[in-house]
Amino acid sequence: MTALARRAGSPVLLLALWQLAAAATAGQFLLAGPVAVGGWLADNPGLVGRALSASLANAAWGFLAGNLAAILIATVAMLWPRALNLLSGLALVVFCLPLVATGPILRVTMGPGNGPQIVLAALAVFYTTLIPLLAGLRAAPSVWFDLVASYGRGRLAALIHVRARASLPYLLAGLQIAAPAAFLGAMVGEFTGAERGLGVLTIRFTRDLNVPALWAVASVAAAVSIAAYGGIGALGRRFLLERPPVILAPPRLSRGSLAGRLQGCVLLAGVTLALWWGGIELFGLNPFFAKRPPDLLAALTRAPDAAATRQALLGAAGQTAALVLPGYLAGLALGAGLAVTLSLAPRLSGLVTPLAVALRSVPIVTTAPLVVLMLGRGAAGTIALVALMVFFPTFVACQHGLRQAPGQILDILRGYGAGGLAQLIHVRIPAMLPAFFAAARMGVPAAILAVTVAEWLATGRGLGNLMTLSASLSDYTMLWLTVVLVTGASVLGHGGIAWIERRVLRLYAPEQVDP
Amino acid sequence: MPARPPAPITCTGLARIHDNGVMALDPLDLTFAPGRTTALIGPSGCGKSTLLRLIAGLDRPTAGEVLIAGLPPARQAAQGAIAMAFQDPSLLPWLTLRRNIALARKLARQPANPGLVDRLIGLVGLEGFHETRPAALSGGMRQRAAIARALVTQPRVLLLDEPFGAVDELTRRQLARDLPPLWQPLGTTTVLVTHSVDEAVLLSDRILVLSPRPARVVADLAVPLPHPRALQVTETPAFRRIAAQALAALAQGVADSPALAAQ
Repeated sequence: MTALARRAGSPVLLLALWQLAAAATAGQFLLAGPVAVGGWLADNPGLVGRALSASLANAAWGFLAGNLAAILIATVAMLWPRALNLLSGLALVVFCLPLVATGPILRVTMGPGNGPQIVLAALAVFYTTLIPLLAGLRAAPSVWFDLVASYGRGRLAALIHVRARASLPYLLAGLQIAAPAAFLGAMVGEFTGAERGLGVLTIRFTRDLNVPALWAVASVAAAVSIAAYGGIGALGRRFLLERPPVILAPPRLSRGSLAGRLQGCVLLAGVTLALWWGGIELFGLNPFFAKRPPDLLAALTRAPDAAATRQALLGAAGQTAALVLPGYLAGLALGAGLAVTLSLAPRLSGLVTPLAVALRSVPIVTTAPLVVLMLGRGAAGTIALVALMVFFPTFVACQHGLRQAPGQILDILRGYGAGGLAQLIHVRIPAMLPAFFAAARMGVPAAILAVTVAEWLATGRGLGNLMTLSASLSDYTMLWLTVVLVTGASVLGHGGIAWIERRVLRLYAPEQVDP
Repeated sequence: MPARPPAPITCTGLARIHDNGVMALDPLDLTFAPGRTTALIGPSGCGKSTLLRLIAGLDRPTAGEVLIAGLPPARQAAQGAIAMAFQDPSLLPWLTLRRNIALARKLARQPANPGLVDRLIGLVGLEGFHETRPAALSGGMRQRAAIARALVTQPRVLLLDEPFGAVDELTRRQLARDLPPLWQPLGTTTVLVTHSVDEAVLLSDRILVLSPRPARVVADLAVPLPHPRALQVTETPAFRRIAAQALAALAQGVADSPALAAQ
């Protein structure tokens, strides 16, 4: 009974707070409480049901395609380890493509059907499955591979008999994150001119300022995401013996020299350019909207309006940076800070943690209109959205990291009479660092996604706005330029965090860097 | 169990320098007689596990070669002629005991032999645990299972890397008593790496005492005690004399080590 009460405690608390907040702000067109949301849903079951089934179908197809691609690439990387670095680099580039800009580009290439939603859903899940899967495929103890090799068998046998099964908990944890991500991708795809789906309703109700409807759609999206997240988690608990892994993106081993790594970067850039250019030539895409690398270079250098183009691009990038950096840093600081604070107050943690785990699965971007409703179209709303996007994964990862503190070392500290604060500073926080950095790294593309969506839907400034503006003006050169700029910044940001991560972990967790 | 013809192992000019530049083996020339058990003892990190891995074909020598019955280890491994047991029992946690043992035959590309699997489970004293997963077994039981897995392919060469190293002393003595009689009558050429002088004397026909890194042989001792050996043999004067010789050679090897002499 008490266990049931504890499990039900935080959702009931959340609903009560929600209703209270709605009552307190009644008449301000900000917040519709659970009662109003329930009422609106009861009045419009057909509308929501049709939109939901359209979004669900798109998300499901994207989920399937993106995950199959991830599994295929991971398999290739295991059988051909030399390709591992290049493949994961390319995957990162694909993951960093800004959905807000790829959406319109897909829309003009694929037409008004479901194609773009499905592709965006697939793009959204591809990386979140690939990275844990690669980690899982390599997570088995080396002696298991010795066993396979001692019978004269090679990589394929190791993949079949050891890696495939050993990676299942990681795959499942990746799929768990991927399920809400697919839903997010589908909804962003629907934002860009689809005919049906929850994303279409979101855009419509944002324009109408229909507060209860907007909250209802966001609630349905959140509920579906939490259900998918929970369902896959339950599947894992039912069929797997192992506990699910929490750090899904462990740091990559830093073997090899600086020159070797630079060579890898150049190779990655070259292959990316070749795939981009070659893809356009191969499919014979219309040069009006399919821009090649030299077209963009010319637009920035030789074109008559090159100076204006550069200025527009840099101006927008500056506006976006001014929002994404504070939001990203605030999200990291709040996530890590709350995790550390709660570790000193375990009882409070029991109430907050299940809530955070559930909210982590909510596609925050789909709630962008709500954040904008509450915090306005200015900087505060956008920064808050970015911070929220980064906050939940950081918080959950840091809580896990704090629990990894080695018990024997804590016992030694306790033996010297060290208090909770000393234990925190000397043992728990260093133990938290690997999880923190894993979250910080994965948070870079997430933050950029959040800021571009918010700029598009709300602020009318920055790169997100430039993307949608260029798309509606059919200025595809500018659209491609923003894609390259944002993707490049994401990949560089990700790489920069990974660089800091390696330096810090070499000091605090050397076993994670050089096994 | 029908035995395959015993296989001699010869190492010629065998040397291994690790990727980090550490020289693990001085060029070594060694022969392991077919069908006999040889124990390798030496201080920690002296390169005895490296030698075992080279014989298994898990690592490649920097210089020299290993031949098992005239063929390189990789060829013999591909024919299922080699089996290895590690300090970590390395059972796959998602497979039952029976399937863990059967997996070895699959990896060795041998036809399934459920009768042999069941018989070996009984012989190593795990009757009734066929469908149990490793997590539910004790450390000693897992080591018994690992030995059963190593024997299920009826190997010509059995390589044991401290297989009883991770269990408590009592279990260790029980395993050392119960398990060797399973392979000793089969004519399997066995190489055992161990830290324990007593275990080396108890299990082997010959003891090679290795020096600190880079490993070279400081003593080559015969163990002329009859098989099967009961645990009581450890109390006999003959046993204690060989153990004392081995221990003295170990100490001498450390004292003569060039690394220490330089200090």
